[in-house]
Amino acid sequence: MSTTVHPRQNETADAPQTDRPVVVCLAGNPNVGKSSLFNALTGESRETAHCAGVTVEACSACTRWRERPLEIVDLPGSYALDGLSGDQLEARRALLERRPDVVVAVVDATNLARSLYLPLQLLDLGYRVIVALNLSDEARRRGRMPDVEALSRDLGVPVVATVAPRGVGVAELEDAILQVAAGGGLGETLGTPLPPAVEQRVEEVALRIAARSDAGLLPPGDLNPRAAALAVLEGDADVTRAVGLSDDGFLTHADEALALEISRARHTETKALAAAAKMNGSPADRWWHLTTAPRTGIPIMIAVIAGIFATLFIVGDLLSQVLEAAWAAWISPLVTSAVTGIFGEGPLGKIVLWGVDGGIIATLAVGIPYILTFYFILAFVEDTGYMNAAAFLSDRIMHRFGLHGRAVIPLIAAGGCNVPAIIATRSLGNTRERTIAAVLATLVPCSARTAVIIGAVAGVAGWQYAILTYAVLTVVIILAGLGLNRFIPGDKGILIMEMFPFRRPVLRQVARKTWMRFREFVWDAAPIIVLGSMALGVLYEMGWIWRLGVVLGPIVEGWLMLPMVAGLTLVFAVLRKELALQLLLVFAAMEAGGAVMNIASFMTTSQIVTYAIVNAIYIPCVATIAVLGREVGWRRTAYISAGTIVLALIVGGIIARVLLPFS
Amino acid sequence: MTVRTENAEEYLEAIFKLQHSGGTVTVKRLAAELGLTSPSVSEMVHRLRAAGLVERRGRRGRGRGIRLTEAGLAEGAALVRRHRLSERFLVDYLDMPWDVVHEEACKLEHALSPEVEARLAEQLGNPLTCPHGHAIPGEDGSLPDERLQALTDLRPGDAAVIGCIAEEEGDLLRYLASLGLLPDTPIAVESVAPFNGPLLVRVGDAQYALGREVTDRIMVRH
Repeated sequence: MSTTVHPRQNETADAPQTDRPVVVCLAGNPNVGKSSLFNALTGESRETAHCAGVTVEACSACTRWRERPLEIVDLPGSYALDGLSGDQLEARRALLERRPDVVVAVVDATNLARSLYLPLQLLDLGYRVIVALNLSDEARRRGRMPDVEALSRDLGVPVVATVAPRGVGVAELEDAILQVAAGGGLGETLGTPLPPAVEQRVEEVALRIAARSDAGLLPPGDLNPRAAALAVLEGDADVTRAVGLSDDGFLTHADEALALEISRARHTETKALAAAAKMNGSPADRWWHLTTAPRTGIPIMIAVIAGIFATLFIVGDLLSQVLEAAWAAWISPLVTSAVTGIFGEGPLGKIVLWGVDGGIIATLAVGIPYILTFYFILAFVEDTGYMNAAAFLSDRIMHRFGLHGRAVIPLIAAGGCNVPAIIATRSLGNTRERTIAAVLATLVPCSARTAVIIGAVAGVAGWQYAILTYAVLTVVIILAGLGLNRFIPGDKGILIMEMFPFRRPVLRQVARKTWMRFREFVWDAAPIIVLGSMALGVLYEMGWIWRLGVVLGPIVEGWLMLPMVAGLTLVFAVLRKELALQLLLVFAAMEAGGAVMNIASFMTTSQIVTYAIVNAIYIPCVATIAVLGREVGWRRTAYISAGTIVLALIVGGIIARVLLPFS
Repeated sequence: MTVRTENAEEYLEAIFKLQHSGGTVTVKRLAAELGLTSPSVSEMVHRLRAAGLVERRGRRGRGRGIRLTEAGLAEGAALVRRHRLSERFLVDYLDMPWDVVHEEACKLEHALSPEVEARLAEQLGNPLTCPHGHAIPGEDGSLPDERLQALTDLRPGDAAVIGCIAEEEGDLLRYLASLGLLPDTPIAVESVAPFNGPLLVRVGDAQYALGREVTDRIMVRH
């Protein structure tokens, strides 16, 4: 054997070693990607030839690595080498015949407890083993990647994490092969520790075999005496015959029971090794436990949701202001001059402007800052695996609404924007669940409605009234959920989900997910927003809006006790809910024929609260309606829209009367 | 002996199962089990009583218990035995998936003669449980007195082995099988969500959140 220790030195090493190829056997459980690894080692892109003269039915190919020839032998997949099944027998015979320099044990990184038996047995038989932890990407994805260093230390052999189909770890594996073939890389390889009584008998048999080998009865496949003794005691007939122990009376009836003892000891060791290599108590595991235990999980959930919205409002608001300013400064003048150039400055031109100028900025000002940002945050949180914990904790509450835990995700999302929320209801089980979740999502105040509540209610009337507004909306959502669950027929959803521990989100995947969803929003919603804007443009430019006031009068002034202009702004706020507040000032000024600086000058506190609540509940905005139509059907969308208007009128009317004495 | 209809046999089977799950068998429980209304159940119970297969126990009134007589018990046990043997046959010999065999066995159980039943049991190697883990009554109608507990009733930190799974819902069975939640699988409860929420369970290396509507259907033993 060579004296070279490190494979990299082989490049400059002397030629003689290159004559005989390093024989490498690939052993492994079925379905762990052994063949993929074989292909990765000997693949078409590599210099490969089929080797002749192989009698055993095992696929074999020659390749080169760092100027050294390697012969890779693919053994049949098996869980062990001791059974009498065809594959195990064949794998064992191939090993004995080929006398490999190195055996690569390909194991399933996602299931060490089952797959370490084979490498242990190979070590017991005295082979120089390298463990290839295949499927390591899958193990990482599930957060169950074993501790490679611990496993390598405990087994005393090199352990290489591989992802065979993508060639990950293959070069490292080949380096390890050369290193081990050259006699390096191995630690103290103990194999399976046996109970003392068994070990004693193994030694007796080994001594006998050693004595016989002097007489020319050599164990096959260069097995050392102890390995041969183990093979004999585990019932390997080939080896027993070769060492002349078949019928000389040395083996007794009691020895037959030892096979089971040895196998049991190996299973025990396998489990112990797998447990030792488990990345237990990793920070991810501890966090995971904290997020699912009720006492710590609920505060964490509240903090995560608060964090999501804080980020959304800060980033969204910033982007929104930048975009609107940029649009007003550079693009709007261009669009305006282009449109007035084509359609003239008359009503037609103005109507078109409502659509292409107002409509597009409406899409952009909500779409990019809030929806895109929210999609990004949501995709990020989803990819950490946290959402499962939230679903787990909230399942019971969601049940009251006829939903299950997973519905909490769309409902959280709705607080940012109803559009992604409604798209997210797709992940729910049946139509009933989707409908309930979609209705509840439209009732959750999104960032635009929050802007009105914060701007008008908290800003003008006081924060305690803003809290009151949110409380009223929460009660409305809860009652709506209970009511829908009661009256919509059909089966309730059931919760079964696999829980993965935390993982680090991959930015590229998060970005891709964000973009896919955002594109869907732009395609669906933009045309409807533009058309809706133009329709309102018609109402406004033709002066019909004031006539609408006559129709709405009894409802707005009589029932909701709001000023007429406030009712009119609600009509326009269907485009963008936060528009309500801006328009309120504009319309009030138009009606008053002069500047109005503050809503407080023409609305009382109770009117402001009523206004914000009605704005939050009545009919979702056009972007939401557009998505809703596609997700739950246009008929249901019509029902939902009509239902929310009625709900808004009922709640608004009650609130107006309850608050009257306080204003 | 009166002529027994399939309908009456369904009743005997249902009463047998309820009687073994513990508690008093009432018309109300029986109606829920069979998916029928209480009046029609009362009517049939009356007829079975006339045939000497069931008897009523306890005070008069709504909560009065229904019990199988010795003859009824033997009949019920034989039906359940044929049902569960048929399921085993469908799964073991015909390789049918475990989520569809309950329906099929409901039809087969009425068609098996005692002789076919005996041969079937022998061919199958006298199995002790159906594919869903429910015990098969012996030829003498005896059931092992094994105390099973609903998975729902375990507390965090408890470990158990899945005993049997309610077989009526095919979709659920299919899903559970795909996750490896099968009879004789060790299972441990890691955490329970608040307000009687779902259970976080560990099976092998995997963790699952299972809602109450699922854990109520999984019976475990220690």
